[in-house]
Parts: sequence; C-alpha cells; structure tokens
Amino acid sequence: MTAIRVDAWRAWAPGLDTPDAWHDWAMAPRVVPDDGQVQPACAFLPPMQRRRLSRLARMTLEAAWPLCGDDEQLPFVFASRHGETTRTFALLGDIADGQPLSPTQFGLSVHNAIAGQWSILRGQRGESTAIAGEADTFEHAMLEGALLLDAGAPAALVVVAEERPPAAYAPWIEDVPFSYAVALRLGRQASAGSAPGGAGWQLRHARADGDRARCAWPHALDFLRATITREPSLEHAWKTRQWIWQRQA
Amino acid sequence: MNAVIDQASLEQDIARLIIDTLNLEDLQPGDIPPDQPLFRDGLGLDSVDALELALALQKRYGIRVESDAKNAREHFATVANLAAYVASQQAPCAD
Repeated sequence: MTAIRVDAWRAWAPGLDTPDAWHDWAMAPRVVPDDGQVQPACAFLPPMQRRRLSRLARMTLEAAWPLCGDDEQLPFVFASRHGETTRTFALLGDIADGQPLSPTQFGLSVHNAIAGQWSILRGQRGESTAIAGEADTFEHAMLEGALLLDAGAPAALVVVAEERPPAAYAPWIEDVPFSYAVALRLGRQASAGSAPGGAGWQLRHARADGDRARCAWPHALDFLRATITREPSLEHAWKTRQWIWQRQA
Repeated sequence: MNAVIDQASLEQDIARLIIDTLNLEDLQPGDIPPDQPLFRDGLGLDSVDALELALALQKRYGIRVESDAKNAREHFATVANLAAYVASQQAPCAD
C-alpha cells in the first residue's frame, strides 16, 4: 500500500489545453482528433531554446512547466511507454535510405533526453528518472514518484507523455488514441504545505488473475478523469498486475 | 555584377537553410544579416548546430565539409562566409 498525494495537475492534448477543456473531457471522455501537427507553443521559452524540442518534449514541458516554482529543485520522473516514435521512425528511414543521420535527432534519441532538456532549461540539478514500462507505465511512474518522496524529497513531478505514433506502428501500438501529456505534482502526506485542492490516494498492487478488462483509456488519462470527477476508486489491470487506486477522505 | 547578385541570393538561400534546418521558428532570412556572427553571442548557435548545418550544406549543395577542415570555424562564422565557402567548393577551378 502506497500513499500518494497529488497536489496539482496539468495536461495537454490536441484541443485540450485548459483546465475547463479537460473538465469537459473528463465528463465525456472521447478520442480527440490528432493530426500530428498541433503542438504546444511553449511560449515561456525563447525561440532559440525551443529549437531542439520535439513535439513530445513540448507536450511534456507545456504540462510540467508551471508545476515547478522558479526557485524550487524538484525530482523529475518522465514516463513514456513508446517514447519518441516519430523521431525513431525518421532516423530508421534515413538509415534505410543510406542517408547520414541528423546529429541533433540522433543525440536526442535516448529515452532520458526530455528529462535532460527539462533539467537544462529549468536549471534542475536533482534526480531525474526516465521510465518506459508497459500499459501500466503510469503506475510505475507514480510509484517512482512516491519513492522519491519517501527518500526525502519535499515534492516530486511526474509526467506521463505519449505521442500518437507514425502509421507504420499501428499494428503494434494500440494504447495511444491521441497524443497527450499528464503532469502531476506529488506532495508529502498531509504536510503543512499541502495544496488545499490536492487529493490523497492509496495505491495498492495485487496479482491479477488473468482476464481482467483493460482500461478503455491510457491509465494516466483515466487517472486524470477520476481526479476531476472525484471518483472514489479505480482499478487498472495489465497482464498479471492489478493496480487499485482508492481515494482518501 | 552577376557575381554580386549570385552572392546575395546564395546568402538568402543559406539563411533560409539555417532557419529550416535548425528549426528557428519566428525568424526570416532577413533577420540574419550576412555579416552577423552565427555562433555564440551572435545568433547563438552552438557546436551541435554546426554539425547539423554541415550535414544540411552537404545535402543541399553537394559539398563535403570535413570535420577537421582547416578554417572551418572561419567558413561557418557568418552567412556571408558560408556563401563564399559554398561558392568556392562548388566551383573549385574558378579561382
């Protein structure tokens, strides 16, 4: 049993870039159109600092940026099951064509590149983690965030981001209905600095007994939906793992 | 006279290539004066940009920029220098 307190959230998806839009989405979850072009402005960065940000990086930064104060040092957890599929596909295409690889694209093709860009752009010198799991990557990321708090961090940022992959991946990637980023600021339990609007959760892991229904939405989006609609509990099953979220009073 | 026009249009072309290759949103070729330093305190490009730019020049103009080429720093200093360098590489027998 792990106690996890979410003090603030932000999210981005095509056409869903305000709390009100997410509220509407949570009331009636739907697949939003994603043409692969629309991306966050990241207007808080000068153009010269935006030039190497992929769409996935922009989504991550746009969601996470205001959740960290200018004078704060917070551990950062970046989680993405599929990572930079668009970039990877383009690099593989260049290799297949016998073309030289772009140094920028190649240099940023590692899974922790976005965590590194966050660290550089925000002057964050603390721990950062980059996770890729299965369909329950979200739960693993939250567990990582909770462990960072347990190790003494006053708060932690967890961002789950996925980009809708190029069409060639369609036979293998079925859990990204549209591109999205969900950023959560985790805080310590019932501390004096806890945000009044925060929500306490208990996360329990159990062994799943087989044929449990998969969640219709990516777990991070489903958790966001439950947060907004103040649902008392939710369950996410994947293979042998069952994750049980229980809201605390 | 033609050489002057060619140099100007090549400079324009290279400025556009820099903007597109390095993803410098909001900039137009006219925003990069031919004599403005491209690196550090000028436009603000760095060493990764230089590698990226060398690759783009190679693809666009069919010239080969060796990483240990003498005077590479000089050739890459400004749009005007790059234009002169590209012109000299494209017509190696012209001088």
